[in-house]
Amino acid sequence: MATAIRLRAVAMVAPRGFGYLGQALSAAEQYAAVYGTAYRPGTDRVVCSPGHYVIAAYAAAAEAGLIGESLLASYGGDGSAWPAIGAEGGRVPEYTCGSLGQGLSAAAGFALADRLQGRPGTRTFAFLSDGELQEGQVWEAAMFAGHHRLARLTVLLDANNSQVDGPVDGITTLEPVAAKWQAFGWQAVDLDGHDATTIAAVLAAGAAAVAPQILICRTSTRHGLACLPPDADGHFIKLPPALAAAATAELAAGLSSP
Amino acid sequence: MSPPGTGTPVLAPPYRTVSKPYGRALVALARQHPQIVCLSGDLTRQCEIDLFQAEFPGRFIHAGMAEANMIGIAGALARSGLIPYVHSFGVFTTRRPYDQIVNAIAYPGLPVRLVGFMPGISSPGGPSHQAIEDVALMRALPGMTVIDVADATETAQAVAATAGLPGPVYLRLKRGEIPVIFPGSHRFTLSRAQVLAAGGTGARAELAGASRQTGPAGRSGATEDSAGQDRDSQDRDSQDRDAGRQAGPAAGTAAAEVVIFASGMMVAPALAAVAALSAAGTAAVAVNVPVIKPLDTRTVLSVAETARAVVTAENHTIIGGLGSAIAETLAEAGLGRPLRRVGLADTFAEGAASTPYLFRKYGLTTQHIVDAAWSALARTGRPPQAPATPATPGEYAPV
Repeated sequence: MATAIRLRAVAMVAPRGFGYLGQALSAAEQYAAVYGTAYRPGTDRVVCSPGHYVIAAYAAAAEAGLIGESLLASYGGDGSAWPAIGAEGGRVPEYTCGSLGQGLSAAAGFALADRLQGRPGTRTFAFLSDGELQEGQVWEAAMFAGHHRLARLTVLLDANNSQVDGPVDGITTLEPVAAKWQAFGWQAVDLDGHDATTIAAVLAAGAAAVAPQILICRTSTRHGLACLPPDADGHFIKLPPALAAAATAELAAGLSSP
Repeated sequence: MSPPGTGTPVLAPPYRTVSKPYGRALVALARQHPQIVCLSGDLTRQCEIDLFQAEFPGRFIHAGMAEANMIGIAGALARSGLIPYVHSFGVFTTRRPYDQIVNAIAYPGLPVRLVGFMPGISSPGGPSHQAIEDVALMRALPGMTVIDVADATETAQAVAATAGLPGPVYLRLKRGEIPVIFPGSHRFTLSRAQVLAAGGTGARAELAGASRQTGPAGRSGATEDSAGQDRDSQDRDSQDRDAGRQAGPAAGTAAAEVVIFASGMMVAPALAAVAALSAAGTAAVAVNVPVIKPLDTRTVLSVAETARAVVTAENHTIIGGLGSAIAETLAEAGLGRPLRRVGLADTFAEGAASTPYLFRKYGLTTQHIVDAAWSALARTGRPPQAPATPATPGEYAPV
């Protein structure tokens, strides 16, 4: 499913020749694991905290049969209900926001509502990015969720070490990430973010957790696309027609081979 | 607009005060609406929601000193079918989490009620605590209803009136002792600004024999019996109704030379200014504008049209709030009138010991409104001097 997500993301970015492809490349396995195994439509919720990642949510939801193919064709265009920086309007995901660092608060609010309204089994999956950890609000929400033991809340952190101005670790020091979240009362797991099977297994185990969980998914914005030039901007990839064609061919071949 | 010769009745100063009208009104509303939840940004007693916490502990949420997160939580609760009331001081419910309000509440148009205590320079706590641009900030947000109530009667009615609004609301409230300017017969509405009758001088004598309900000076007392206060309020209401009917004749709803549009804490000095001007032979009328957005432009224009000059008065910067809303309305209608905006003149205030000191220093007194009216009318000579209205502890009179 992750390869299919990447292929759809290329198709969504190609018409304009640039876009948030890197986000889909780094997070494809995480979205595949959530939409493909853990998320129960109509019951659970998905929060896509960094709106720029919504491309992956759209692609995954389409793969899961939750949204129609034709809607993706309008992605990011004028008058589209599926903007490139996620905002209100789409049914998928349940919450996203273009101003970063706010999604975890919404996810905590959803988990709290489930508790107040008597839905103990409902899960909320929140996709965050490592750059967002620079926003203080994320830690307000983490502290709140830890204090209230919002155990139905699961964060998938796309730790791709990439932000607009370059590598995250060239700008600030986030490590040790797991220890920080544990200090806030969370269960933290550090894992290979491109291993969809392990991600799915950890998500399944999280259904019985007694504290909120975070999966620190170590990833790369270039993963799964060997044809990307070495200087591709992880935050905003340029995809001219020739490169788009090469990417499509590479991913399609990956889908058809066993 | 009210028929000529009448106006919304008001009581006469000094005004008796009550405590926690908002807190009691929210509890009363929450009894009717189980989906109402209450969030506190670490200012529970100060925002009168200790009452809610005591009655509905399972619906009360300590968000702590984390306003951005509190806003995000509120948005998600609203998406789940709950009606969140978010509480802190005005500076911390508007200025501080503004981006969060935009993204989590205003853009999605969710029914979150943002409650901000300590309007303008009513707080002596300095610029960090003085919400002097909150109305402007909230007014600039599409879909936001912005309310700045004048007294305890309106506070309770505004809480009820906004209950069913599908979009977000900002409610600006005075902290501590809340004056009763409007009698119990008053009817706050979301759609109409109110042309005010002149406060009758006879009304006070009618109440002289009644025992007074006074709030504890300076802070909300947690030990007060809310049920007892309700009974007292009902007694007051019947007396107030009588007083309201006996209030003086409506000051110039048909023939005022100057109209004073005021909101919140500036309604009381506006009424006093009307009295001072009228006593000096200049017909004036005060209009209470509790709902600044959406503005009742129909009343604004119909009253301004009959006047020669317009004054606005707000406990707020004169940029972006009530004064600006009035100015926009007049200009768009092509209704040119000399306009004077009373409020903070594009300045921060400061920390101080007392509110009256700040109101005097930063131009929010009755005399400042009189002076503004005099100037707008291009009168020469000394403006009428507004007499001071003394108030005993537990009473409120405008500065």
